[in-house]
Order: sequence, then structure tokens, then C-alpha cells
Amino acid sequence: MKPTERFKRRYISFSLSLSGMPPAYPEAKEIVHVHFLSFFGESGISSLAFKLVKYDAQSGEGILRCERSRTDEAIFCMACLSEWKGAPARLEPKSTSGTIKRL
Amino acid sequence: MPDIVRFEPTGKDGAGRALPASSLPNFFEAANALAARQFCRKKGAIVHPSGYDVDDGDLLELARAGGAIAFSFSDVLSERGFRRSILISKMRLLLSACRKRGTPFVFVTLAKDASQARGARELSAFATVLGATDVERKAAEKKMSGIADGSARQKKGTPPDAAKAVEK
Repeated sequence: MKPTERFKRRYISFSLSLSGMPPAYPEAKEIVHVHFLSFFGESGISSLAFKLVKYDAQSGEGILRCERSRTDEAIFCMACLSEWKGAPARLEPKSTSGTIKRL
Repeated sequence: MPDIVRFEPTGKDGAGRALPASSLPNFFEAANALAARQFCRKKGAIVHPSGYDVDDGDLLELARAGGAIAFSFSDVLSERGFRRSILISKMRLLLSACRKRGTPFVFVTLAKDASQARGARELSAFATVLGATDVERKAAEKKMSGIADGSARQKKGTPPDAAKAVEK
């Protein structure tokens, strides 16, 4: 596939907290995946080029990938997370970039 | 971007530029379309219709009176699943109606506590998702800045004209 035919990607760095603490990697992965799936649906996720690229369980900070034209939707989706299984949760977007290095 | 919240921000909670709704005399929360109609006639009113159903005629009156419609992020947070999608759809329709009638609009969180407060980037994404263009988003930010400046002037007890004279 030509580079021009691929998804144009954007990387969003975020900070995740569950009851004020950063959750462990498996739980963080479940929170992000389930929340995005519930917000976008299966079809939406397929066109979003979504991927949880990196997550640090110590700091609660991570990076996720999305399609360039849908960055605002992805940020809105992240902002819509307010609780997880009854506990207060927050998925706060930090910065957006076209490369992981510049985040 | 200045924001309107429902609690008293302390500055430590990350809501430094937020204005408490109780401090704004022109801010009205309309429970239904009938209540919204009354508030739309008031000069410079900022109307938050909780059901997001406002008649086109009322939007025209609000535009004439120099007011604005407030879209609240906390309304989205308080709903789940299908009901959330219906609410976003209603917001999109109201924004489209505002555009058609030339009514200004602002994007606020109306957070009940610090956990519901959101940043400028998130509010900007909220505006884009509702269908606001870049120009409309910037106009909404300008309108909010105007509201914040007006509120600051009122706190100091300076009438708007006198403040302009001082600036010159």
C-alpha cells in the first residue's frame, strides 16, 4: 500500500486515573478499549485507526493513536469518561502530535 | 478559555478561569421551552436550555437581545449510552438552528465539582463534535471572554462605559 493510501495518524498523550490513582496496565487497557468501543462502536473503531500505543502504570500516562481527521472526536471521547465501575475515573488528553517522539 | 461552573472555584482545583454561574446575573437555566421563551427576551441573557429544545422564534429574539445559548458538557457527562447519543443529537440540531438564526452560542462545562471540570482543548473538541466550524468556535471563545470581562468589571463595581474610558 502506498503511504498516501494509509491512515493519516495522530498520537494523543493522556493521563489516566481511577479513584485518583493510576490503574495497572491490564485494567487501563480494558478501560480505554471498552470506553472507546462504547463511544464509537465497532464500525467507528475500524475507521478510527485506534490503538493504545503505550501506557506507564507508574505515572498513569500513555499514548494512543487515532486517525488525523477524527482527533477532536477522540479527545471528546476521552473527556466523556467520568466513572468506571462506580469509581471516579478521568482520561485527560495532554497533547497531540504526528509523531510519538514529539509528544 | 473561560468557563462557567456551578461551584465556587478555589484556584487549586484546576478551574482557575472558571466563573461560578451564581455570580452571573444574566445566566438562566431553562427547564423547558416555555421557560426558555421568557429568558430569551431578556437583554444579554445566557440561556442554558436543559432539554435543548428552543423555538426558532425565541432564538431570533435572543439574537436581537444580544444573548447566547450555552451548551453544557456536564449534561453529556450525566447521561449514558443511548440517552447520551440522543442528547448530543439534540445539541447538534440546536447548534444548527442557532447558526440559521444568527444566535451566538458558548461552550461551557457547568461542572458541579472539580471532577467534572474540563480543559480548553476538551471544550474545543466538544464544539467540533457538535458541528461548530473553526470560525464559530473562535466566536464562542470571544463571547465567553466578553462575559468573563463583564463579570470582572461588575465585581470591581466599574460600569462598562467607564472601564472603556480607562482603557483608552
